[in-house]
This record gives sequence, C-alpha cells and structure tokens, in this order.
Amino acid sequence: MFSFQTIVENFPVLLGSARYTLLISVLGCIEGLILGAVICAAALSNKRWMRRIAALYVSFFRGVPLLIQLLAAYYLLPVIGINVPALAAAVLTVGLCAAAYLSEVLRGSLNAIPQGQAEAAAAIGMAPRDVWIRILLPQALKIGLPAIVNELILLVKASSLVTVVGIVEITRMSQSIAAATYRPLEIYLAAAFIYLVINLVIAQAGRMLERRLTV
Amino acid sequence: MTFYTTVKSALLGLGALAFTTSAVLADDLADIKAAGKIVVATEMHYAPFDMLENGEYVGFDRDLFDEIAKELGVTPEYLDLPWTSILPGLEVNKFDFVLAPVTMTAERAERYSFTLPIADATVAFVQRKDGKMTGPEDAKGMTVGVQKGTAQEKQLEAYGEKIGGITVKGYGTPDEAYADLMTGRLDAVAGSAPLLSYLANTRPDNFAVVTPPFGTPTYFGFVARKGDGDTLVAAVNDALEAIKADGRMAAMQEKWFGMATELPATMPEL
Amino acid sequence: MTEIIQRYGPDLLTGFGYTILSWALGTLLGLVLGFMIEIARRFGPAFLRYPIRAYVEFVRGTPFLVQLFVLYYGGPLIGLRLDALPAGILGLTIYGSAYFTEILRAGFDAVPVGQVEAARAIGFRNTTIITRIMVPVMMVSALPALVNFAIILTKETVILSMITVPEIMFQTQTMMSETFAFVAPILILALFFWGFVELISRFGRRLERRFTHYLLDRS
Repeated sequence: MFSFQTIVENFPVLLGSARYTLLISVLGCIEGLILGAVICAAALSNKRWMRRIAALYVSFFRGVPLLIQLLAAYYLLPVIGINVPALAAAVLTVGLCAAAYLSEVLRGSLNAIPQGQAEAAAAIGMAPRDVWIRILLPQALKIGLPAIVNELILLVKASSLVTVVGIVEITRMSQSIAAATYRPLEIYLAAAFIYLVINLVIAQAGRMLERRLTV
Repeated sequence: MTFYTTVKSALLGLGALAFTTSAVLADDLADIKAAGKIVVATEMHYAPFDMLENGEYVGFDRDLFDEIAKELGVTPEYLDLPWTSILPGLEVNKFDFVLAPVTMTAERAERYSFTLPIADATVAFVQRKDGKMTGPEDAKGMTVGVQKGTAQEKQLEAYGEKIGGITVKGYGTPDEAYADLMTGRLDAVAGSAPLLSYLANTRPDNFAVVTPPFGTPTYFGFVARKGDGDTLVAAVNDALEAIKADGRMAAMQEKWFGMATELPATMPEL
Repeated sequence: MTEIIQRYGPDLLTGFGYTILSWALGTLLGLVLGFMIEIARRFGPAFLRYPIRAYVEFVRGTPFLVQLFVLYYGGPLIGLRLDALPAGILGLTIYGSAYFTEILRAGFDAVPVGQVEAARAIGFRNTTIITRIMVPVMMVSALPALVNFAIILTKETVILSMITVPEIMFQTQTMMSETFAFVAPILILALFFWGFVELISRFGRRLERRFTHYLLDRS
C-alpha cells in the first residue's frame, strides 16, 4: 500500500537537504566554467605541451567515474599533504570533473565564432588576453548556454554521489529516512521528485535566459 | 556546524583550491583540548548505536559520547560517513576519532588504537518473523546478508565454511540488508547481537532473532589513530570508567538495549 | 604485495567481469528499448507521445542512483522482486533508453524527408523504409552521440555496487576494508576505467569511419 502520509511527514527534512545538492552543483558548475575556460584556452594554444596537458586532463576526468574521483580526493589528497573538509572536497571534485566537459562545450562554441572577430580585435591592438576575455569568452558562454545548462542538470544528478565523502544531501537523507520508516518506495520516489523539479526549473530558467540573450 | 559556516568553508576551499593542510582537525588530546572541540565520525545507519531521526543524529553512541566529551571538556562535532570510508578517513586525519562501534579484532588492533569495550559484538542471525530457522546451523544453503567490510562479514564467511555453505551478500549498511530481508531476497541477516535485538524489539511483527549467536564472543570499541591518538584513548577510557561508576552507563544501556550489562574494565584478549 | 594479488586477484577479475557484463547488456538493451520508444513515438498513435515524454523527462531528470534505489528497494513492494544483477541491468537499460531515444530522435530528424518520400513513391514498405533508408542515414549523424553515451554508461556501472552487484567497485571496497590499504585500490580503479573508456572511444571512432565510409569515397 502506497503511503502518502510517509511522504508528507518526511518531505520538509528531505527538501531541507536539497540545499547541499544545489550548493554543490551550482558552485561546481561555476568552478567548472572558470577552470574549463582555462583548459579550453590551453587546448587551443599554439604550444604543443599545453595542448597535450589539456587533452590529458579532459581524457582523465571524463574517463574516470566521479565516484572514484571523489574517493581519490577524499583519501589520496591527504596522503600528499592536502586535507580539505568534506564539502570543499566535494565541490572541488565536482568542479574539476565539470571543467573537463565544459572546456569541450566552450571549445565547440568558440569554433562557431567568426574568425574575423579575433583578428579584427588583434588588428586594433588588443592584447591576446583581452581578446580572449572580452571578445571570445562572453560569446562562447552565450552560444554554449544550452550545453552549460545541460551540464548543470547533470551536476545536480551527479551530486547524489557525494554521500561517499559524508555530505547529507537529498540521496543520503532519503537513505536515512527510508531506513527509519521502512518505506523505501515512497521515500525514494519523493527524492526523485525533488530532483526532477529542480532540474525542470533549471531547464526552464535556461530557456528563458537563452531567449533574453538572443533578443 | 551550521549550513552557513559550511558554505563559507566550501567557498574558502574553492577559492584557494584548498592547497592548505587542515589546521582545524587536531592530532592528539592536547590539540583537541586546545581547539575546544573534537570531530568524530560514524555511520548514522547503525541502530541503536547510531541513527538519524528526522534528520537528527541520535543513539547510544551519541548519548555516550556527549557524556565523554563533557568529561574531556570539549564540544563534540559529529560526521556521518559510509562505513567503508571511516577507517581510511581516520588514517588521513579527516577527523579525530571513530565513534562507530568497531568490532575488536587482532588485525585492527595492530593498526588502530582501541578504547575499552563499549558493547557486546557477538554475531547472530535475524530472520523474518515467519522464518524457518530454529538455530544458527539452519543457515546452511541459505542466502544471508551482512554489512560489507565488517568483522561480522568475516565471521559469517568462516561460519559458512564450517557448516558447509552459505551464500553471503554484502551491503553498504545493515539497514539495506534488513530491507532486503523483508523483500524476501535474503533468508537471514547476520549482525551483532545488540543491533539485531533492537531490530526485533522495535519491529516484532517483522523480525525475529535466531538464538543462540553463532560467532565467537567479541566486543565493540571506539578507535583512534595509533600513536597520535594514544593519549586520547587513555582519556576516553578514564571517561568511560567514570561514566560506568556513577550509573550513567547502565541508564544508557537500559534506554537503548533494554537491559544493563557489565562490560570488561580491561582490554579483552584478541 | 604478491600476497594481496593472490588473495584479491580472482575477486578483482570477477569484478571486472560483472562491470563489463552489466555495461554491455545495459547499453545493448537500452539501445533496443530506446529505439522501440522512438519508433513508437514517431509512427505510433498520438496518445503515446505524452507518456513517452514524461518517461524521458523523469529518467533524465533524476539521478541514476535514486532510480536504482526505487527499482531495487521499492520494486518488491509492488511485486517486482529482482535480484541485484538483473535489477542493475534493468536500471541501466531504463536509464540508457531515455537518452538513446533522444539521440535517435535527433538522428531521425536529420534524415532528409525527400529520401523517405522517394522510397515511399517507389513502393517501399514502412519497415523497409526504416531499416534500409532511415537507420543507415540516421547512424551517420547519431553515432558519435551514441558512443558518447555508451561511455557515460560505463561510469554509471560503479553505482551498481550500492545494490550489492559484485562489480569492480564493490570488490575494491571489500579489499580496502579488509587490507586497510586504499591508495593502490583507488588508483587501480581509476586506471581501469580510464583505459576502458579510451578503448571504447577508439572503437567508436573506427565504427564512425565505417558508417561514414561512403561519404569519404565520393568526396
């Protein structure tokens, strides 16, 4: 028998834990964008060793499951003397992983910008760094917006894995409540519902932003 | 730790990409006392020792450690970590002390510093109320769940070899194993006696403990780092003795296990 | 070290086996289910569209871990009691199908209408149009995305460890808690997946070349 009662009673606690889900995915996405821009710049650099490093970075962070990356950040970093609190480790790792995907998004978007723009800016004497930050990056962000929003949605879902470093976000909280109430079906469905709503809202906000930027 | 301070620490960690060794965690008793707080980790899925009720951490361990921290004169801070992350986490200084009940084994004692026993850890089976087992030897040929990476798992495997075959399935937490016992995927779950009697007492319509326990008698202790944590363990042991002496221990045992039992005042042979 | 390899080597190999098995079956069945869903959406009755859309949105909007918990721990309450491995493979299948169906949709959309109309005009049946015209043309544009998602699925398999499927992550965690060593096991895991993913993407590129071979010939 399906018990709505169980869902109603536990919903506030479950919803409260969503703030960690949001915090980790939003900060992770911001970190991913900043770092992703750097890696993208390296991938497009005319120095071979920089392109190599960028390729290696992308291949590693896209090739290894996030769950394992999280364990590595939690256990392996302290071995080499870097000890970060769980939440910082989670945000850091999620962001490092997102950077690999977002650098590819930015690279794709940059390809869509007419070559002439960068050349014109260089011709009027803008420094390469300024061309990059003022001309190319803002446009790449705009063109890549749908993909960036998509990445944020993936991050919201991926944040369910940070339970392994001890952060009580939606998934961990639903595990606890399921154990206490012996109502796994109801509780996990409620958790799924919260994720779904968050992601639908993000997708909608992304579409609105996209429309505003293209006007 | 409030949400906002954790947010702040996350932002700091993010901003600096966190290339600093943590100064927050203390290494030994002196550091903890200087900091005025002790960070302890457990998995809050281990009723009646550790559990979450409406998002709040409660249980025997919580009550006991609140008292121990009082004796030490420091503020406790509780972390919830998956069991398989806890012992490695202690080694890399993620926290000061393991509050999860750790079954005392000779191998672990070589690597970690145990406190005095805090509860009985002898292994038994629990089955569904309508289960057919009348004694532990009936487990032969059955599918039995157990928390993975635990001393109970090893004992179950050894027992399976002795009686001629048990299919062992490992779970992240005992809660998930109980859930799978209810779904009928498992015939029984192996676990420490206090956990199973708590389960059977709180849900008598669903579960029944199979008596007698099958494992060799063992105890739970808490754990600190070897070397650095030795002074801390000594202080916790003193606190434990004080808590036993004035009857607080018996009251907590009554509250969580339904009965008070005498615990060894010296380290048991492993 | 040799002692550890002797003790855990067989377990790790079993783990690799389960990882590869659940990935391969999950991807294959997910692709089949995704294809059927897309065919139903494209050629089936109109009332199917809303349930299909809700299915796709639900699966893509929720974490795989949570879906797996619903399926494994919630399923028995409504009479669906699967063992861990079938539940894990079914979970991967469902998760994959929602993404695959969207990829296939974009691929089918890219098939020039004229080709289908021409085929119909010369009397091809619907099934023949799908298998002989639409699928081969669609594969050209959809293949990179399909391979990419197959790669994403390799990484989702580690989550099966949380419902007791004895795959590589599960074996490694057992090894970690028994030996108290964690640096080497994590590195082994990372390297395994890195290599596995590289292998699949190489294979995917070769497959792409085969499907687009005829395009190169003509240019």
